[in-house]
Amino acid sequence: MLLAQILTNGVLLGGLYGLMALGMALVWGVLNIVNLAHGAMIMLGGYAVYYLFAGLGVDPFLALPIATLGMFVFGYLLQRFVLNLVVRSAMLNTLLITFGLNVVITYLAQLAFSADFRTINPGYAGSNIAVFGITVPLVNFAAFAIAIVLAGAIWLLLNKMPLGRAIRATSQNLIAARLYGVNPRQLYAVTFGIGAALAGAAGGLYGTIAHLTPYIGASLTAKSFVIAIIGGLSNPFGVILGGIFVGVAESLTALYFGPTYSDVISFGLLVVVLIVRPARALRTA
Amino acid sequence: MRPLPLAIAAVVVVLLVFVPWLASDVMMQFAIDALLLAVLAQAWNILGGFTGYVSFGNSVFYGLGTYGAAIAMAQFHLPFWVGILLGIVLAVLCALLIGIPILRLRGPYFAIATLGLAAAMGAIVSNLPIAGSNIGLVLPLIRADTMFYELSLGLLVLCTLTVLWVSKSRFGMGLVAIREDEDAAGTMGINTTVFKIVALVLSALFTAVAGSIHAYWISFIDPASAFDPTLNVRMVIMAVFGGPGTVFGPLVGSFILSAIYEYLASSISTAAALLFGIVIVLAVIFMPRGLANMIGGVRARGPRYFLQNIRENRL
Amino acid sequence: MSAPGENAAGATTRIPILQAEGITKRFSGLVSVNRVSFEMYENEILGLIGPNGAGKTTLVNMISGTLKPSDGELRFEGQPIDALPPYQRAHLGICRTFQVMKPFPGMSVLENVTVGALFGRGGEKVMAKARRSAREWIDFTGLSHRVDARADSLGGPDRKRLEFAKALAMEPKLLLLDEVMAGLNAVEVEEVIELIKKMRERGVTILVIEHVIKAIRSLSDRVLVLHHGEKIAEGDPAAVLEDPRVVEAYLGRRRQ
Ligand SMILES: Nc1ncnc2c1ncn2[C@@H]1O[C@H](COP(=O)(O)OP(=O)(O)O)[C@@H](O)[C@H]1O
Ligand SMILES: [Mg+2]
Repeated sequence: MLLAQILTNGVLLGGLYGLMALGMALVWGVLNIVNLAHGAMIMLGGYAVYYLFAGLGVDPFLALPIATLGMFVFGYLLQRFVLNLVVRSAMLNTLLITFGLNVVITYLAQLAFSADFRTINPGYAGSNIAVFGITVPLVNFAAFAIAIVLAGAIWLLLNKMPLGRAIRATSQNLIAARLYGVNPRQLYAVTFGIGAALAGAAGGLYGTIAHLTPYIGASLTAKSFVIAIIGGLSNPFGVILGGIFVGVAESLTALYFGPTYSDVISFGLLVVVLIVRPARALRTA
Repeated sequence: MRPLPLAIAAVVVVLLVFVPWLASDVMMQFAIDALLLAVLAQAWNILGGFTGYVSFGNSVFYGLGTYGAAIAMAQFHLPFWVGILLGIVLAVLCALLIGIPILRLRGPYFAIATLGLAAAMGAIVSNLPIAGSNIGLVLPLIRADTMFYELSLGLLVLCTLTVLWVSKSRFGMGLVAIREDEDAAGTMGINTTVFKIVALVLSALFTAVAGSIHAYWISFIDPASAFDPTLNVRMVIMAVFGGPGTVFGPLVGSFILSAIYEYLASSISTAAALLFGIVIVLAVIFMPRGLANMIGGVRARGPRYFLQNIRENRL
Repeated sequence: MSAPGENAAGATTRIPILQAEGITKRFSGLVSVNRVSFEMYENEILGLIGPNGAGKTTLVNMISGTLKPSDGELRFEGQPIDALPPYQRAHLGICRTFQVMKPFPGMSVLENVTVGALFGRGGEKVMAKARRSAREWIDFTGLSHRVDARADSLGGPDRKRLEFAKALAMEPKLLLLDEVMAGLNAVEVEEVIELIKKMRERGVTILVIEHVIKAIRSLSDRVLVLHHGEKIAEGDPAAVLEDPRVVEAYLGRRRQ
């Protein structure tokens, strides 16, 4: 029974992890940018929902779309006016600049929001439902469901809509993108904006089940990266599955080896995956 | 390298030897820190700059050097030099053990795998009783800043001479060929596996010794500070800011950034970190090939150098 | 050393430098090279032709070691080389150019060629000597005027010269040239043909992959034809190029 409970927790948390990684996988797969500021954008989304809730009394799940939209605009502008300036330079340089952005966002957040712990705590935060004797926290369940819905939306966008086809063409090559009659600069900005929006949504949900501080970004970036590799860059549902895999692995590790190891298990998994299944990793030089 | 810069470098080193007799205590603290950071940047340069393998995990070797010295001195009451040796042995073993699987990965995969190792290593060490678990270890306290300064300077000179040799040798040519195109390097007769591992081991070795010196100098270590992941970031940025794959770029980059950081940190630490981030962003946009390249470029083309960089790299 | 053109007759009496037996390469279902067997003799020039996608590059990749054959055996100077990684094959004297030219982009021309002198079959250990011999090969290929230029700043023909100079600096016994004439004009093709002849005079055995039939005709002692991964003809250039199956393979392709 304990095991079933732990697995349930892991799956629910993992769905949210998958949503965190989704934006990173999209940006990486299409723009070839490994965005080291992704976790910091998740953090920003979390604070946006927090302030809408704590400051203006907006229900977190109503605040979520607002924060998501806000993060889209943020991501769009960032790509349009900063990252587009360096996208053709070496991979190391895009790693470095997004790392620099991570530092800037983190410390601006510290100045603006202070370093105190924050949680988004609506009245229903503690509510549970019991299914076959397993406790399912409502908020976690809602986060999981929203993650699945958003993954579905991204899948529809990429596979059924003209914008999505243009985005996928861009990931093949830039010239093909022009054939779709889209301005690549615009398209890059929109894609990065979608990635940021997904980060924002994930952050808002994360804030309802865990603490927010300005410093959570780095570890969330790393986790997202691991999940993106495990889940692959092309299929949104693959990424969600990758997230669930990591979520379950973390919960089990915490149970059997203690919580200090649960933070590193995702890296352990990463190294194992890279070594056991290196074909894709080796090809991307 | 022309003889002139070498002569200048030699004179600078000789002058630096006498700094302890002129500098205040605070200055010495800063100088030792800056020298050790420069060693880290320079050691990173062997792997990241010359070979093109961007490691975000050199803190692992630094931490092992730290713990080598601490375990030898605090747990077994052995002399400092034994501690350094132990640190080197641990770091080199680790480099061999993880290098063989991990150096097969390329690009961001390698970078992030090393980042993962850095995180994992801290967690492992904080569960080892011999390493003081998560509390840490206390080393014998001595006040000998002059000695630590001269040791750090000596290490930096040795590391830089090694890089100088790399830049001029057959070995270094092999590394650069791997950086430029690894598959082509293999078909041209370069044993890429061995070359990469030797580069990693050299990088690990100097990094570990810097860790040992630092441990004895501050005389207290714990997993969080020994395996501090932000250290990776600092060394990478210093090397890249100065000019990766050059002999003096990482030195100049690390001294400049250390000075800026120190100056700002004494006023407000958040502002210092913030400015650090902004410097990185601007540097990548305007001087993506590092300081060394920028100086040459600006001399040749003036401000157009910056515009040209943007034109080359923007969408 | 026999003059070019006379080799075909004497070839069979000599020891093969390269023997390929039943070489096969499958890519997840697709068979790119199908049980190809052939031999190359010392100091001959073998022309390898076939329509695009016939498997020529794949074959070169397997000989140079960047791809592992799914089946079959390769011998170099009588020794099996299947287990050797690319760098060891380079040390033995197997050397290739890439269809997509692969100079080390950030290195100068001199440095590029020096790498060949340092790590090839000659394996010169002393930098100064390696540089000197690199300069000689740069002269030999007519690239002296660009010695200090960055490799990625070279235009098409100079890039090919660089590729030759790098290969020669490795002192190869067997040189695999994958479409080095693609994109060159008639005058430049003529220069490259001369260069290949000069290499052969130095004792190098050469495999030439080319679509320029004129070049194949004037260079090759023998010609081997691949089509859909299979060897469909081999032998005297004039005869092979008139073989109806070869004409069919090329023309059938053209008509599409
Ligand atoms: N790495 C690979 N993976 C899958 N298929 C490949 C690979 N390399 C080549 N092929 C396929 O093998 C066939 C032969 O290709 P290639 O050897 O390049 O032909 P050629 O050089 O004669 O034009 C082609 O159908 C090509 O698509
Ligand atoms: Mg080909």
